[in-house]
Amino acid sequence: MCTPDPARDPAEATIALILNGTDCRGFPNETILACARRHDIYVPTLCELDDIDHTPGTCRVCLVEIVQAGRDEAQIVTACNTPVREGMEVRTRSRKAREMQRLQVELLMADHLQDCATCIRHGDCELQDLAQFVGLTENRFFDRARTEARPIDLTSPAMVRDMRRCVRCQRCVAICRHHQQVDALAMEGTGLDRVVALRDADDYPSSACVSCGQCVLVCPTGALGERDETDLALDYICDPDIVTVVQFAPAVRVAFGEEFGMPAGTNVEGQIVAACRKIGIDVVLDTNFAADVVIMEEGTELLSRLKERRRPTFTSCCPAWINFAEIHYPEILPFLSSTRSPQQVLSTVAKTYLPEKLGVDPARIRVISIMPCVAKKDEAARPQLTRDGLPDTDVVLTTREFARLLRREGIDLKHLAPSAFDSPWMAEYSGAGAIFGTTGGVMEAALRTIYAIVNGRELDRIELTQLRGFEGVREARVDLGGAVGEVSVAMVHGLGGTRALVEKVLAGEADYDFIEVMACPGGCVDGGGSLRSKQAYLPLALKRRETIYNVDRAAKVRQSHNNPQVQALYRDFLGEPNSATAHHLLHTSYEDRQRALTHTVKEIWDDITASMMLY
Amino acid sequence: MTHVAYGVWDGIVYDRQTPPDHTGAPDYDLKNFDEFDAGNPIRAFFGDRGFFVFDETVSLVDSLYHYMAKAAEQSCGVCTPCRMGTVLVRDALDGMRRGLAPSLDLDRIEMLGEQMRQTSLCGLGQTCAVALLDALHHFRGRIEAETAPGRPVPAQHGMAYVTAPCIEACPSKVNVPRYIDYIRDGKPENSLGVLLQQYPMAATCGRVCVRYCEQACRRKFVDEAVGIKTLKRYVADQQSGPHALKFTRDMIRKPLADGMKVAVVGAGPAGIACAYHLLLGGYHVDVFEKSHQAGGMAQIGIPSYRLPKDTLAMETEIIADLGGRFLFGQQLGRDFSIDDLFARGYKAVFLGLGCQAGSRLGIAGEDAGLRGYFSGIDFLLKVHDHVDGIAPLALSGEVVVVGGGNVAMDCVRSALRLGADQVHVVYRRTREDMPADAEEIEAAEAEGIRFLTLTNPTRILTENGRVTGVELVRMDQTDPDESGRRKVRPVAGSEHVLPCDHVIAAIGQQVEDGALVQGDGVALDRWNCVAADDTLATSRPGVFAGGDCTTGPSTLIYAMAAGQNAARNIDDWIQRGSVRFFKRARMRKLIADNRFLANDVVETPVRNAYRVHNPELDPELRKHMFEEVEQTISARAAYAEAQRCMRCYRVYSVVTRHSIP
Repeated sequence: MCTPDPARDPAEATIALILNGTDCRGFPNETILACARRHDIYVPTLCELDDIDHTPGTCRVCLVEIVQAGRDEAQIVTACNTPVREGMEVRTRSRKAREMQRLQVELLMADHLQDCATCIRHGDCELQDLAQFVGLTENRFFDRARTEARPIDLTSPAMVRDMRRCVRCQRCVAICRHHQQVDALAMEGTGLDRVVALRDADDYPSSACVSCGQCVLVCPTGALGERDETDLALDYICDPDIVTVVQFAPAVRVAFGEEFGMPAGTNVEGQIVAACRKIGIDVVLDTNFAADVVIMEEGTELLSRLKERRRPTFTSCCPAWINFAEIHYPEILPFLSSTRSPQQVLSTVAKTYLPEKLGVDPARIRVISIMPCVAKKDEAARPQLTRDGLPDTDVVLTTREFARLLRREGIDLKHLAPSAFDSPWMAEYSGAGAIFGTTGGVMEAALRTIYAIVNGRELDRIELTQLRGFEGVREARVDLGGAVGEVSVAMVHGLGGTRALVEKVLAGEADYDFIEVMACPGGCVDGGGSLRSKQAYLPLALKRRETIYNVDRAAKVRQSHNNPQVQALYRDFLGEPNSATAHHLLHTSYEDRQRALTHTVKEIWDDITASMMLY
Repeated sequence: MTHVAYGVWDGIVYDRQTPPDHTGAPDYDLKNFDEFDAGNPIRAFFGDRGFFVFDETVSLVDSLYHYMAKAAEQSCGVCTPCRMGTVLVRDALDGMRRGLAPSLDLDRIEMLGEQMRQTSLCGLGQTCAVALLDALHHFRGRIEAETAPGRPVPAQHGMAYVTAPCIEACPSKVNVPRYIDYIRDGKPENSLGVLLQQYPMAATCGRVCVRYCEQACRRKFVDEAVGIKTLKRYVADQQSGPHALKFTRDMIRKPLADGMKVAVVGAGPAGIACAYHLLLGGYHVDVFEKSHQAGGMAQIGIPSYRLPKDTLAMETEIIADLGGRFLFGQQLGRDFSIDDLFARGYKAVFLGLGCQAGSRLGIAGEDAGLRGYFSGIDFLLKVHDHVDGIAPLALSGEVVVVGGGNVAMDCVRSALRLGADQVHVVYRRTREDMPADAEEIEAAEAEGIRFLTLTNPTRILTENGRVTGVELVRMDQTDPDESGRRKVRPVAGSEHVLPCDHVIAAIGQQVEDGALVQGDGVALDRWNCVAADDTLATSRPGVFAGGDCTTGPSTLIYAMAAGQNAARNIDDWIQRGSVRFFKRARMRKLIADNRFLANDVVETPVRNAYRVHNPELDPELRKHMFEEVEQTISARAAYAEAQRCMRCYRVYSVVTRHSIP
């Protein structure tokens, strides 16, 4: 760890050293970088990312000068992975250290595409910051032809991997391998040809990648990013023959204001509604409404499965989790709820029920979905979620693209007066729908409704605080009364914990009725499509989560089944939850996408020879 | 004696032109440096600690270009200074040697060299600019003089070689840092591919190798050596799962005509490795084995709790996958002779006979026919048959095993598993002197084995043809002699009797009598081993030999290396009638003779991160069973362990008068 650990007893800091001329104490085996940060001394870094405990020592930028005890000559070392030693003198700002830091950044730039104006990370780039920190003034070694020859992977509907902008920090590999434990990425090639590649695959569709987008969140540059579709959205918005419908996810409203200088966790629902109107969206709807519908469907489905003693049931609203189950654990697929995700429920209803209400031709409707998620782009492209060859959801914009779209339209959210939804059919939501955006939220929303169905009355204590921890895997027993009695539930966020839980279920070692899975650590409030942070991973999770719970508390209606627009939808259009119509429109199916891998030694040898001359 | 014209080594400048009154350093004492191959003098040498020039007319620019080109080719690309620096410097030197305007001036080259040396992540980047910087600091005038005319410099002959301490220590010369890199990169199958380039028995080696590489590992100067064997086993064990690599005939480089066939005698590690490389070279290979299973000592001599039989069988099967043929139940000297083999049309023969006859203690009362008496190797053979279900074996009472090597440890731990009440090790020196792996000794102790060190047997006590005890004498150590070695001698009057039911003599093995008969024309040496020269050729043309039968009982990895070397030499012998000069081996010798790859200390502090260990079954549980004691490490542990490798790659190059064959 390179940041001070507040739990550590200062008395354990027994290593005496001199840091920039000041006596100070370091912990045994503590890095110079951690010690410097503890003493509020800045050292420029790039590859290191403390929040995920990542210090690969690859960029070699955090150079400092040291003199070890008993020696005369100074040495240059990297602060991130060199430990403090008794009697060591450290100079972070000596002329030599500064010059070598600067040269290192210049060498990093030598094969880094510097078309910053066209970069997806424009204005928000850690490498640009770094160049400023080290005072970069010239760029003697840049070779454009060499740089442009580096590969770009455009095979994913969700993400783009652009090696021309990669600094080989390996943060993406680390988050995928150690935290999400999907292990879809590998480092490949040697020397200048070193790239981040898909493990055992040439393209995303055949890879182990589940599009959770956590790699994008940790990338310091524009090497990883969502597939930008703002132009497609604008095409629809500007086409007078098209009726554009926008939906935005529960988490977007609490994880967007930062982009426009508002405090983290500000609820900007009203400003988003106003902004959508301003850019010319015809109908502004809320994914929260669809979340309430999902609860009606999924809750009913769960009850019938419980009656059939089919357990456990996994939630199905997270598309990266669906990808994960299909690619990595197809044996678990029969246990997944068949209910579509809120995005897809809203899109389907917007193209069936809404046109009837509006009196427009469904063919004129295009749904633009604003999501804190890159896997939603994947989901929108699923063949199971198209009708007549056309997707239900036409464009998915990540939170980041939506910010880009607003900037293109000259809109500053901070100076926009909030507005309110005005759809009488598909915009109202309950507090239950609102909490979908955070881990445990789907579970809590579902249990509120299931309790009411089972008992014919509402829960006394509506907030199920026993579900609201933040540990990676949580479990609880909840008494639903009536014929159902006590149920055993689990909630997991982050795919590392998910993998462990699925393994337990498959091994018959877990005893759960209902399991909520969110692929991103923290849930949707920190989804792979949300705003990026620099040199930090999920720093705002808890603030955003608090706002989501406040939305629930302030809601007029706290349970999905009490949402009057949901009641109207069933009354006027769907009939009962899980009715034939509901099944046809609001449920889906999954497919086994696991790949059998067999390599021959010959293939491996060819690969080794291609990537490295045998010595 | 080679004289250095000029150069720098470890920062000390050597310059014959230095005026006598000036304190020039004395000539550097170089061994074996006159010529690289016969009639081909070494003109200059470049390494990780500096360079030597022996011939004033050598072009520094061209030499440094070739050296840096090798470094750039080997740069893994992980860290910034080496990835970019090696390429930029290489290209600049290339321009200079071609007489073009250089892309970088000498100041910038020096700046990049310093950046590489001082800030690179691994040994390659840290050392590949040392010679360049030495030349720029001390002989800059020579470089400027070379490039001043703006004309191409004459081409030079030579070669560059990349290695690391672990690679040099490995008899099979496995590229250890490379296979660790592949684990770190997330490509364990490529890691296995690196191992399979040297030998087919990776999972076996990952379990029982004695790890010369780890002894040479420089990580031990920081905390502990990298768990190289543990990582090898991790990648090799993927070979048994659903993702197992397939061995296919298209691995064979160039299939040869039907008549190009070679006989391999003995299906042990040496024979298997030899057959593997001959098959890959396109030969048709028949492996003659006296027993009914492949594996040799790895099969019968290593108990299944260390090396499961199916693991070994899977690896010996690779020979059949590649088109090799096993002929079981075929014993040299009994079923066929070497003359027979040549008469059947084999172009060459490889003898991997092994050392499978147990040595005797040579004490009173010892008789191979005694009930309760075994040689170590015979006992392990019986254990093998027991595990295979061929002939159940049960022991009871007290068992005494004489010896301190790995075979002795295998005997004591096996005896325990077969039901012995108490098992004793008798060894004439101290525990520290035991040649067995420390891990094996510790494992035996954990399982409750009693160690009687500084003790030697003097007599076996018998009654009615069965062992009833052993007379032991205590030994004491003499003071260290000049070489620092202590001898041991019996303590008069300390004789005592240890009653026991079984005595196992595990003090060594030799080649079985009768394998080679008069008329085979294969000479034996004075230890009764097969005599073979540096090229592994025996006294009979076309017959090569390697492994235990030439060296006496040794290790799996030495046997596999011998098989590999023999395969290359057999190929040469068949194709051209003699064995070729092997330039990489010459380079290794140059490096070894002059101790260039010094075990220097690690100069900058490195964070401690201790090695992972294979999970083990509990001693109380495992001592009753023959299932494997050690388990494979997890992927997470493998990534962590791979991270510990410091990649101590070094580049060495020579410039020679003529081209190197």
